[in-house]
Amino acid sequence: MISLSIPSLHNALDEKSIGNMDVDENVAIEQFSVENENAIVRARNFSLFYGHTAGVKDITLDIYSRAVTAIIGPSGCGKSTFLRSINRINDLIPNTHAEGTLEVSGHDVYDKRINLVNLRQQVGMVFQKHNPFAKSIYDNIAYGPRLTGMRKKSELNDLVEECLRGAALWDEVKEDLNRSALALSGGQQQRLCIARALATRPKILLMDEPCSALDPLATARIEGLIEQLKSKYTIIIVTHNMQQAARVSEYTAFFCLGELIEYNRTKKIFTSPQKKQTDDYISGRFG
Amino acid sequence: MTSEPLNTIPPGEPVVFTQPLYLSPGEDLVGYISDLAGRFILFMITCASVLAVLLIFGFVIREAVPFITKHGVIDFLTSTSWFPQAEGAKAEFGGLALITGTLYVTIAALFISVPLGLLAAVFLSDIAPFKVRQICKPIIEILAAIPSVAYGFFAVMVLAPWMQKHLGFTTGTNALNASIILSIMALPTIISVAEDSLSAVGRDIREASYSLGATRAETTIKIVIPAAHSGIIAGVVLGMMRAIGETMVVWMASGNASQIPHPWWDLSQSIRTMTATIAGELGETPRDSDHYHALFAVGLLLLVFTFVLNMVSEFFLARFKRRREVTR
Amino acid sequence: MSMMLRKITDKSFTGLAGFSVVLIIMALAVVLGPMIWIGATAVVFKGTVEFRELQYDLHQRGDRGRLKSETSEVEKVRKKIYAQIDQFKRGIDTESLVAESRKKYREYKIFLKSQNLPDEQCDKLEDNAKEIRNTLADVYDSTDKDTIIKTLDELFAAYPAKQFEHTPVAEMLAAAHDYQTVARTIDLSNREKYAESLAEVQERLTKLLGPRPGEDKPALIMEQYGATRWDVAQKQLKMILWIEDWEETEPGKPMTKKLTPRSNQFAGTTLESFFKNLETDLPNLLKPQREFYWQYFIDDSTEGYYYGGVGPEIIGTLLFTVMGMLFAVPIGIISASYLVEYAGDNIIVRTIRICVNTLAGVPSIVFGLFGLVFFVKVLMPALGYESKPCILTGSMTLAILILPVIIRASEEAIRSVPLTYKEASLALGAGKFRTLVKVTLPAALPGILTGIILSLSRAAGETAPLLFAGAIAVGPIPESILEPSRVLSYGSYDIAVGDRYASMVPHKQFGMVVTLIMLVLCLNIVAFVIRSRVSRNLRGQ
Ligand SMILES: Nc1ncnc2c1ncn2[C@@H]1O[C@H](COP(=O)(O)OP(=O)(O)O)[C@@H](O)[C@H]1O
Ligand SMILES: [Mg+2]
Repeated sequence: MISLSIPSLHNALDEKSIGNMDVDENVAIEQFSVENENAIVRARNFSLFYGHTAGVKDITLDIYSRAVTAIIGPSGCGKSTFLRSINRINDLIPNTHAEGTLEVSGHDVYDKRINLVNLRQQVGMVFQKHNPFAKSIYDNIAYGPRLTGMRKKSELNDLVEECLRGAALWDEVKEDLNRSALALSGGQQQRLCIARALATRPKILLMDEPCSALDPLATARIEGLIEQLKSKYTIIIVTHNMQQAARVSEYTAFFCLGELIEYNRTKKIFTSPQKKQTDDYISGRFG
Repeated sequence: MTSEPLNTIPPGEPVVFTQPLYLSPGEDLVGYISDLAGRFILFMITCASVLAVLLIFGFVIREAVPFITKHGVIDFLTSTSWFPQAEGAKAEFGGLALITGTLYVTIAALFISVPLGLLAAVFLSDIAPFKVRQICKPIIEILAAIPSVAYGFFAVMVLAPWMQKHLGFTTGTNALNASIILSIMALPTIISVAEDSLSAVGRDIREASYSLGATRAETTIKIVIPAAHSGIIAGVVLGMMRAIGETMVVWMASGNASQIPHPWWDLSQSIRTMTATIAGELGETPRDSDHYHALFAVGLLLLVFTFVLNMVSEFFLARFKRRREVTR
Repeated sequence: MSMMLRKITDKSFTGLAGFSVVLIIMALAVVLGPMIWIGATAVVFKGTVEFRELQYDLHQRGDRGRLKSETSEVEKVRKKIYAQIDQFKRGIDTESLVAESRKKYREYKIFLKSQNLPDEQCDKLEDNAKEIRNTLADVYDSTDKDTIIKTLDELFAAYPAKQFEHTPVAEMLAAAHDYQTVARTIDLSNREKYAESLAEVQERLTKLLGPRPGEDKPALIMEQYGATRWDVAQKQLKMILWIEDWEETEPGKPMTKKLTPRSNQFAGTTLESFFKNLETDLPNLLKPQREFYWQYFIDDSTEGYYYGGVGPEIIGTLLFTVMGMLFAVPIGIISASYLVEYAGDNIIVRTIRICVNTLAGVPSIVFGLFGLVFFVKVLMPALGYESKPCILTGSMTLAILILPVIIRASEEAIRSVPLTYKEASLALGAGKFRTLVKVTLPAALPGILTGIILSLSRAAGETAPLLFAGAIAVGPIPESILEPSRVLSYGSYDIAVGDRYASMVPHKQFGMVVTLIMLVLCLNIVAFVIRSRVSRNLRGQ
């Protein structure tokens, strides 16, 4: 049953020992939609359409707070689509519409009454391509807080430092916060983007392949950072890289062709997937 | 298979969203209205261009109508005698020579600039190495940047004396002079649009032709240019519009004689265009005289000319874009 | 064989295509080269002492002491030239000689009275003087060379100049002496012809050296100074040395120029050598020296563009274009933002686009017509101002002209801002409008700026829209935006075609148009640099 094609995956699992949360490894779960107090994002038969074609279809899934959930799957399977629906960034794309429900903390995000500003401030996002604004480091981080009317210099200074420390970037940039953000290296820029997302004090952090444009060293730093952040934030991370999913996440959802195939504890997914497709994918037979 | 909950993390303190995720009805209303108002304001500002076009057409027509009702269109379009300054009823407003003058210089200019421009576009898109193209394109852009009055100045001060001296023309300011200068001015437009459309023709088509043993000339002439013809036509039409609408050059270089050359092909004679007539005469015309309204009728005719040409170029550009999207 | 043919066709096609580009580049060189070459001499040229004097008189530029010493040096040389002319003139202009001798005689009478001499001596002297005066009057009247010389010799013998030393009579006799010298060399029956020729020489000499010291100052500034530039001086010199004639060689053909030396007119006379002297002495007469006249770009010009620079034209051009920008840029950027960020794809938006394209295709002269009927005739009275073309109406006309250019450029710039920027901003909770203002527009700024600068250059070069909406060829520097102004573009037209005097100063003609071209090219280069910077930045990211 255990068919790991990638040797390092063993190490990842061993070292990280997902079991540090006392999970019974032998418990198998068929149903994903277990009602649970801790489900912070709750999708029920959720579909999102680009025009007439569905980006994701009929997703039913709970995402739990203060944990890292990874979404994996071949490209074009709707990982980003699902992630970007949670803070409704998909609205930017014309002709999208949603069906079913997608709740954040019990509030349907596709409800007409949703306060998009508050939603997006509390559901931070980090993108695949590091995309700091062409402003100074300081202004990048202060952008979000300023939107909510934070103007006091001292408060902003404190917040900027806190976020940079939180994103493990402070020591590298503290000398000159007025430097252009574009002058930083790729990994630094991505951490800056994380710091920028932290500055609005989000409860959930969405990360869409945050390391795909980075070299292994920078990737390791980001992963370390995620490890630090997960005690405070609920993190949903889309990744291409299965080792990464194994290393950083507690839960893993496997998407394929717009559908959710399997959702389980990460260790379970990688050691004993229930579905053939999942098995094929993680063992590298397709994808 | 037990159905134990996935999550076994002790609940701990619950995650609290400090800011309300739902809008209050008041906020909802304000947000909706302000969004609508903002959109409306932006929309109104954007409509400035529409307003400008309407005003231009409206006012030019308004000033042209008194002439048309008084003198009719037939004479204006068929007679060649343009004696607007004659006393009272003796004044004649035959615009035919002006229209033919415009056509003369425009067509003669296209005769020079279309082959030259097309060849240059082929050179830039298919033949020139990257470096050469990088140098040539800004140079050709400079041609487009030079103000028209500077071209006119060149025509009068340099080209006209030269023509008189070396070609033995009776006057240096003539149809040929204006056409040469206009062709230089139309070149950048034709080149850039034609080059765009030639480059848009895919590499694969070219390669297919080469692989069948065709030479570059054959590929270009038989495959690439036909495939890009909508864009090329659009470019030519745009260049033509530039030539028709050009004022300073023809005013300075064409000699301003309201006549149809005789024999008809003799470009060394002076002619006069619609634009030059307006430019030269409106300044000295009393407001609201017959002559004044006649000049607006000429302006209206110009406006209609360019409007139609604009539609033609739009049509070809749209077709070119559609093709490109299909082939991609 | 047919393979050969195909190859040759291919080669010649390639060659032809390359040749056409070479031809176009050559056309550019032919258009710009001569204009820039001549135009540059408006700023860098060899200026004469007259130029430095002009600069000092009009603008207090230059070193006064040095100028003084220079003029006095020049004056010395000029005196000789003038003396030669004056001597010859004595021999020609008998009327003024008669008048002069009469005047001298009267002066002498007054002189005698002041001497307190005994009456009879006084009477005798007066009689002598009268005798001399009358003889001279006869001599001046006569055209018989031999009698004149003989009578004068007798007169000089009878009344040696010593006798009248330091009196007006001595001067009278000296003039007679000059007359005798000249009379020996010329054909007295042709006196009138000589007088005519001499008058022409004098007139031209005034153009070369300026009015003679002591003469009345002419009213026009262009006549108050001689040739201020060495090239003009040479041209004037040529006009003195040679007589230009136009003659018809063949009927129907343009006439051809024929040059004959002017000294032929004075062959055998004392003035014959004058021309040679003038030619060799010219550098000493004018003291040419290289000048860098940068003030050309700030100075006003005198009547007929004769002296001075293009300052008001530059200021006018900037006023018109910058004010036009003030109207067009906000509207253009907002329109572009709306079209890209807010508008979907519906019939209204398509109409707007068609209108923008139509506007871009309207001939510039029609904008002029529109500016006249709408802004000047309708809007200005509606706003309570006088209905006349002015900077305000002109700049509004230009604004409409460049609006589509700005909209298109801004649209493209805004469209090319990466989506991720907007996403990042939205994901932080920024609204659509705030994202536009704080993120999208700043990121699109270089592209928008490029478009603005290019349309600035386009507006600066436009003439036709301003013809009836605010540009004038001559006039004072405007004091408010409710007055018309001179501009480089219309000035370039007027100086080439409209102004009579300007054809005498080609460097001014070309200088004006080259200033315009340079302004436009500089703007284009700035735009080019910004654009390549940006594309480099984008590639570097
Ligand atoms: N802007 C869009 N317009 C139309 N279809 C899209 C768009 N973005 C994504 N899709 C489609 O939605 C599906 C899911 O895409 P995506 O969520 O980006 O996949 P992933 O992130 O897993 O690679 C794909 O089939 C893709 O073609
Ligand atoms: Mg993706």
